[in-house]
Amino acid sequence: MPSPVSTAALRQRAPRLAEAAVERARLTVVPRARTRAARVPFVSLVTLLLLGGVVGLLLFNTSMQQSSFTATSLEQRATLLSAREESLGMQLENLRDPQVVARKAQQLGMRVPAAPLFLDLSDGSVQGDPVGARVVAPVLLDPRPAARPSLLDPPATVVRPAEGVLSDGRGDAAAAERGARNGAEARAERRAEKKAEKKAEKKAEKKAQKKAEKKAQRKAEKQKAKKKAERAKKNRDA
Amino acid sequence: MATSRYPRRGAPQVRLRIGFVLIAMVLSVFGGRLVQLQGLDPGSYAAMAAAEGSRDVVLPATRGDILDRNGEPLAESVDGVMVIADPALVNTDEAGNPVDRAPQLAKLLSTKLDVDYVTVLERLRRTDTRFQYMARAVPAAKAAHVLDRARARGFDGLTTQRDPIRVYPAGDVAANLVGFLGTPLADGTPQPLAGFERTFDAQLSGTDGSARYSVAAGQKIPLGEQTVVEAVDGEDLTTTIDRELQWYVQRVLRQTVYGARADSGVAVVMDSRTGEVLSLADYPTYDANQPLESDEADLGSRAMSDVYEPGSVEKVLTLGALVDAGRVTPRTRLTVPPSLARQDRSIGDWFDHGTIKLTLAGVLAKSSNIGTVLAADKFEGDELRDYLTAFGLGEATDVGVRGESAGIVPSGSLWTSQTQDRVAFGQSISVNALQMAAAINAVANGGVRVDPSVVRGTATTDSGQRVGTDTTTSRRVLSEEAARKTMLMMERVVDPDAGVAPRAQVPGYRVAGKTGTAQRASSECGCYDGTFTVSFAGFAPADDPRFTVYVVVQNPRNGGGGGSVAGPAFSQIMGYALRRYAVPPTSTKPSDLPVEW
Repeated sequence: MPSPVSTAALRQRAPRLAEAAVERARLTVVPRARTRAARVPFVSLVTLLLLGGVVGLLLFNTSMQQSSFTATSLEQRATLLSAREESLGMQLENLRDPQVVARKAQQLGMRVPAAPLFLDLSDGSVQGDPVGARVVAPVLLDPRPAARPSLLDPPATVVRPAEGVLSDGRGDAAAAERGARNGAEARAERRAEKKAEKKAEKKAEKKAQKKAEKKAQRKAEKQKAKKKAERAKKNRDA
Repeated sequence: MATSRYPRRGAPQVRLRIGFVLIAMVLSVFGGRLVQLQGLDPGSYAAMAAAEGSRDVVLPATRGDILDRNGEPLAESVDGVMVIADPALVNTDEAGNPVDRAPQLAKLLSTKLDVDYVTVLERLRRTDTRFQYMARAVPAAKAAHVLDRARARGFDGLTTQRDPIRVYPAGDVAANLVGFLGTPLADGTPQPLAGFERTFDAQLSGTDGSARYSVAAGQKIPLGEQTVVEAVDGEDLTTTIDRELQWYVQRVLRQTVYGARADSGVAVVMDSRTGEVLSLADYPTYDANQPLESDEADLGSRAMSDVYEPGSVEKVLTLGALVDAGRVTPRTRLTVPPSLARQDRSIGDWFDHGTIKLTLAGVLAKSSNIGTVLAADKFEGDELRDYLTAFGLGEATDVGVRGESAGIVPSGSLWTSQTQDRVAFGQSISVNALQMAAAINAVANGGVRVDPSVVRGTATTDSGQRVGTDTTTSRRVLSEEAARKTMLMMERVVDPDAGVAPRAQVPGYRVAGKTGTAQRASSECGCYDGTFTVSFAGFAPADDPRFTVYVVVQNPRNGGGGGSVAGPAFSQIMGYALRRYAVPPTSTKPSDLPVEW
C-alpha cells in the first residue's frame, strides 16, 4: 500500500525540473520605487514661466496701447494737416483763377494782342503781321453791375401848387407875413415871456423868504417879551 | 477598512454622484441661459454686444474732380464740415448755471465764419432744440481753427459733422457745362443738379467705406475688433475744354453781347483735326459757386439747347456740296437779278442791287441769297438734304451735355422745292451751335466730319450712353478737293475788297469764314418777329486749319450783322487760340478767286 505522501515530499522527490526558471517566474512583492525628484526647481520654473508670461504680456499690451495712442494722435494730426493742405490748395487755386491772373496782368499794363508774332532765332526774322498784331483790344473783366431794382427808384411825387404860387409858398403875401410872424417875432416874444416868467418866479420866491424871515423874527420877539413878562411876574410874586 | 482608506473624502461613487449632480445643475443653468439668449430675440442681444464699446465710422469717398484738358480743375472737392451748436450747452456755464453767452459766441462765429450775426444769435437763443446749424460747408481747417478759438474762450456745445464742399475755382468758367451740386443731404451725399456733375455722377461719386473698431476712453483698443471697408474714391472726369481759352472766350463773348445790346451769345472753339471742343461758351452764364444768384434760364447750355436758323453760314455747306457733286466750280458765273420770284414768294438779297454778275465765290463773299438759290437749282432730288444730314445737321451731337436739342432738317413731304430754296441759304432749317460748328469744321478738316467731343477718353452718361474722344467717328462728306475749293471761296469773305467781313481777319494769318444774319423765328407768333441771329463761323490758318471758331449772337439791337458783331469776336478768339497754341502763320498767298465777271 502506498503510503500517503505529502505534497512537499512529492515535490522534494520530483525531479527539480527547470527550477531556476520557476524560481525566476515567481512573483514577489517589491517595495514601490519612489523617485523623489527635487520639487523646488520645477515649481520655480513654472512660476517663473507664468510670471514671465503675464508680465511680458502686460508689457506687450501696454506698449501696444501706447503705440495705439500715438497712432490715434498722429492720425488726428494727419487729418488736420491734410485739411490745412487742402485749404492752402484752395487759396492757390483762387490765385491761379484766370480772372485773377488777368486782372493782375491788366494792372501791370499787359494787353492781349490781336495775333501772335513769331521770332525765328536762326535768322532773326519775324513771322506774322507786326503792325496788325499790335492792335490790342482791352478785355472787359467784370460783368456790368446788376440793374437797380425799380423798387429803389419809386416814381417821383408831383405836387401842383395853385396858379401863381410856388410850391414853397413864395408869392403868397399873406402866407409870407404869417410865415415871418411865426418865425422871428414869435420866437422873440416867446423868449421875452419866458424871461419875465422866470423873473417873476424869482421875485415871488424872494418875497416869500423875506416874509418867512420876518414872521420868524416877530415870533421870536413875542416869545422874548412873554418870557420877560413872566420873569417879571415871578419876581413880583417872590 | 473603507473608512480607513477614504478617511475624509468619502466613497468615490458618492463623490462622483455629487459631482455629476453639481455639474448637471451648473450646465442646466448654462443651457437655460443659452436658450434665453439664442432662442428669444438673439438679434437684439447681438446688436447690444456689438454696440458695446465699438464704434462705426463712415470713411467718406472723395468725389472726383472735373478737369480741363491740361488737368486744371473746373470742379474739385474739399473736405468740409458743418458747425453745429447745442444752444442749451452754449448758454450754461461750468457750474451748470444759465448764462447768456449767445451774443459773444454769435459775434465770434459771424466774424470768423462769414455768417449772419442776427441769424446765428436767434438760433443760439432757441430753447426748444439742441441742434442748430451755425454754418455749413466750412473748410475743415478753418472750422478746426474756429472751434479751438471758441473752446479757448470757454464756449461749450459746438460740434462739427462732415459736409463736403464742392468748389469751382474758376467761378463762371465753363459753368454751363460743368453744372453744380445742391446742398448735400444730412449724411453728406451730394445732390448733383446740373451739367456734368449730374450727367456723370456715377463716375464722379465714389462709394463710401466704413470702419468698425473697439474703443475705450476715446482710443482704439489695439487688439480689439477692427474691420475696415476701404472707401472707393470717385474718378476724375477730364474734359477737352481749355480753361484759359474758355475764360477768354467767355469774356470776349460777354463784351460782344454788351456791345450789341443783344439777348444772348454762344461761342464754340473746336480743334479742327480732332473735333475736340476747346471752348463752349455761353452768355448769360452763372457763377457755379453761387448758382442761386442767377436766373434759372441761364443754368443750362444755350449752345446745346437753343436751336435757331443758321442763316448765311449755311451757304458754305450748300456751295461745298454743289462743288463736291461736281455741278459748279468757284468760278461758275451767275447772273444775279435784283430779286428772284419763286413759286410762293420772291427771294431778295440783304443789299440792294441791280442785275449783277457774280462768280460762285462772289456769291459766298457777298452772301447773296439769290445767287445761292440759283446755284442750288443744280441739285437733283434730295441731294442737298442728304449732304446736310451727312454734315450732321438734324442729328444730336450726343457729346454728353444735358438738354441737347437736335434741330430740324425738313424731311419727306416738307422738303419741297420752296423749302430747298430757303434751306439753301439757311432758313427753314434749325441747328444748335455745336452742330453748326462741327459742320463747318468738316470743311476745315479737308471734307471729313469728325464728331465733336467735350469729354476726354470715355465716360458713361446717366442714360447709359458712352461719350468721349475715344468714341468719336469720322466720315467723309466732301472730297478733299471740294473742301479746298470751298475754303478758297470762304477766304474771300474776309477780304476787305471782295467780302463782307474784313473785321474777322486775324493779322498775319489766312482766315476762311462766313457771316450769318438770320431772321429769328418766334414761337409765340409762329413767324419771323423782326429780330435777328448774327453769327460768324470760320477757321484758321485757312490752308492748314487748326481751329474752327463759331460765334453766335442772338437779337443784337445795335443794327449790326454777322460781319460787324460776330466777326470781331471771331478775330479776337481766333487770335488768342493761335497764340496760346503757338500756331505760326502759313505765309502762303491768300485766295484771289474772282468774285465778279
